[in-house]
Amino acid sequence: MKIAYSHLVQHIDEKPSIEQLSSSLLQLGHEHEIEGNIFDMEFTPNRGDCLSVNGLLRDLAVIYTVELNQEIYKGKLDKLVMDFENLSQDICPKISFLKLEIDKVPDTYIGCLNKYFLDLDLKKNNFFTDISNYISYETGQPTHCYDANKINGKILFQELDINQEFETLLDKKINLTKKNSVFLLNDEVINLAGVVGGKTTSCSSETKTVFVECAFFKPEAIIGKSVKYGIQSEASHKFERSVDPECHDMVMRRFISLVNEHTNIKDMSIIFNDFESNTAHKIPVNVKKISQIIGCNIKKDQYLSYLAKLGFAIDDDVITVPSFRSDIKTQNDLAEEVARSIGYDNIVKKDLSISKYKISNNYDIESKLRYFLIDQGFYEVINSPFVSSSSDMSIKVDNPLDSNREYLRTNITNSLLDNLIFNERRQKDSIKLFEISDIYISKNNAIIKIRKLSIIASGRAGHNYEDFPKKITTKSLTKTFNEALPNENFDFKVLNRGSLNSKLKNEIIGCEVDIDSFSSDVLNYKEVTKSPNDFIQYRPISDLPFSKRDLSFSIKDYTKCQLLEDYMMEFKDDLLKEVFIFDYFLNEKKSEIKIGFRFIFQSNKSTITEKEVNDIMSLIIDHTQTIEGIAIPGME
Amino acid sequence: MPEHKDISPPELIKDRGSLHPINHMKESIMELLTSFGFEIIDGPEIETEEFNFDMLNIRKSHPARQMHDTFYVENKSNLLRTHTSPVQIRGMLEKKPPLAFISGGKVYRKDDDATHLPMFHQVEGIYVDENVSFAQLKDLIYKIINSLFGDDVELRFRPSYFPFTEPSAEVDILSKEGKWLEILGCGLVNPVVLENCNIDSNKYSGLAFGLGIERIAMLKHGVTDIREFYKSNLDFLRQFK
Repeated sequence: MKIAYSHLVQHIDEKPSIEQLSSSLLQLGHEHEIEGNIFDMEFTPNRGDCLSVNGLLRDLAVIYTVELNQEIYKGKLDKLVMDFENLSQDICPKISFLKLEIDKVPDTYIGCLNKYFLDLDLKKNNFFTDISNYISYETGQPTHCYDANKINGKILFQELDINQEFETLLDKKINLTKKNSVFLLNDEVINLAGVVGGKTTSCSSETKTVFVECAFFKPEAIIGKSVKYGIQSEASHKFERSVDPECHDMVMRRFISLVNEHTNIKDMSIIFNDFESNTAHKIPVNVKKISQIIGCNIKKDQYLSYLAKLGFAIDDDVITVPSFRSDIKTQNDLAEEVARSIGYDNIVKKDLSISKYKISNNYDIESKLRYFLIDQGFYEVINSPFVSSSSDMSIKVDNPLDSNREYLRTNITNSLLDNLIFNERRQKDSIKLFEISDIYISKNNAIIKIRKLSIIASGRAGHNYEDFPKKITTKSLTKTFNEALPNENFDFKVLNRGSLNSKLKNEIIGCEVDIDSFSSDVLNYKEVTKSPNDFIQYRPISDLPFSKRDLSFSIKDYTKCQLLEDYMMEFKDDLLKEVFIFDYFLNEKKSEIKIGFRFIFQSNKSTITEKEVNDIMSLIIDHTQTIEGIAIPGME
Repeated sequence: MPEHKDISPPELIKDRGSLHPINHMKESIMELLTSFGFEIIDGPEIETEEFNFDMLNIRKSHPARQMHDTFYVENKSNLLRTHTSPVQIRGMLEKKPPLAFISGGKVYRKDDDATHLPMFHQVEGIYVDENVSFAQLKDLIYKIINSLFGDDVELRFRPSYFPFTEPSAEVDILSKEGKWLEILGCGLVNPVVLENCNIDSNKYSGLAFGLGIERIAMLKHGVTDIREFYKSNLDFLRQFK
């Protein structure tokens, strides 16, 4: 909600700057952005009472001296005789109608009405609707204006199952379905209660006689309707968060006053329909409890003074909650009022010590398994549980995001296969992934949770001169895993590549194991890898193709081997993503070392060119040519 | 010239993998909180409305319960938990105070854009004992944030609203660029929630807090697009060794 700084500050004696006011609003819990001289407010859903200039000023009164001095009509009002029946009084326990007839529709606006449209840069509609919108902005109470000349029968209010087209005053046609709270005229919907009025009875620039409706709807009856019908409605935003049920007299009199400011009123009459008696909520004064909740010593005078400034009435150690604060029910609610008034940042922290508990065994086993897999070169992934395909045991999502995410997965392996293909398409030649997750299945009408570990691997065994020539196989994985965790059964299998839309021929090895099947022997595993102590600063990755080059050397002077290795491994260039030794052989007969380096190049900006790669490779080669005793076969 | 027996081959650099950065962050936070005395508890991701909403004082008409915010499953008989708070409810029903629980894991909300995902991770904690106060909650939050972001980080507490806590607060930290960034939500456990769990709210009070792991991981690692965490791209994952 947008509220102009000037509309607030004109009522505040201290005249705080926009920055000071911003800081006070944050202290009170009212998040906002500042756009020029406008606060774009974002209120928490419990503070419907703040959705107006006056509402916000009521809260600011705990910090500043606030004067709400808007003029309201104080004269006597005749009783309106109106053909209206409320058939859902539980939903609308209070509703009032004001009938106004004016001489002439004003051409221009003055005073606060003019400033409202000017300062907030709003588009005008028609005189009565404009006043209604302003009243909502100033007081927080939405009102609705019917052109009285278009009302030719009895108005009914009712919540009912309905299936009817309804054209809103914004010219949008919607199909009302199922349960809705509506106003009906001759069986036609003329107003979707608390959301938007209808076209057929709306005011125009010609309207001179109007019925102003001011209602209190129970939030439960309004919630969800604007979303359901795709209508952005400030009124429903307010009704959903609850409005002040006791404000009708003040709001209607303010309405009259504003009309009076602009034109001559020929006739006016009003009717208040109260179907529920007023019961103000009362809470006993308990300063000790408030001090205990906040954790500091609050003085009674100070406490009651805060509440009084916020509009609470105090009498005989009983606090009466104002009608606009439907969110206040308990001592904890009052404690929050006091804490906000003091300022959360001004509450001094108090030492908290909790006696220690022991970490559960399962957590340890999972943690050990994770580190074991990381030691073997596996990367942990996390996948979404939503999938398109189902099995007999699949759990169906009633309201999926789309048809590709209608079910919960019944295994992890399929997600890992997707991850594998994703990486193969990015030219990765050694892929080792794992995921630990809960899987949910439906069996005999019961939902069953199974915690699983799934592992998948394909391609080269690794990026070093021992592993590079080897392919990952069932045998190699089983051997490695059995050596480290001899009592656990991983049961690696070759997974079918057939359905994966991939041209690669590498075997895919995988297994999926219930976490519960692991024994506590896992805890004996001594991990090599440690978690990084610090958090690594991420470098944006590239989805562009990479280019690779291999460079092999023949070394006769063994002392130069380390020199060459150091140079290669320490060589840096923005386009060089990875370098590793893929081949090493000591030929004792020939007294010669053969060593091969692989370079992987990739750009973050555009597809890397031959020239870019060749330029870097030339630099490397030129340098190595200066080292005596080493040679690049074929370049001597 | 040295003999071949004096030559040692190049260091055999074994490929090591890495924890997923979200799980690493979660683990770091859980480790920190267990060092403060919290016990780890676990609960299901498929929950009932009773545990996910009712017991937490989230009224029937609350917008979060609607189909556009919450994933329901099996003809609305259950739902995918929208926060890890139901785990704490289960914990409070099982044990008597004093108690201190943390739970971490996946939660689900019906969002899908550049800054929100339908699945994300939370760590939540609750401590219930006699005379637990907002001032103590502040102490705990300072300890958590200082451990994560350093002792020099500037933070502020703002009043907020959660149905399950009262008073409620959101906590922001000041970034290097001078911008306040929301980090966590917290508050004193609403007495209604304690009573729902058969805990005498006249005798006991509690504090609770919840952190979004992705948000903290994004800040700590400098990741700007939340979706990067879940592409399973090896170029991304390799950076978190």
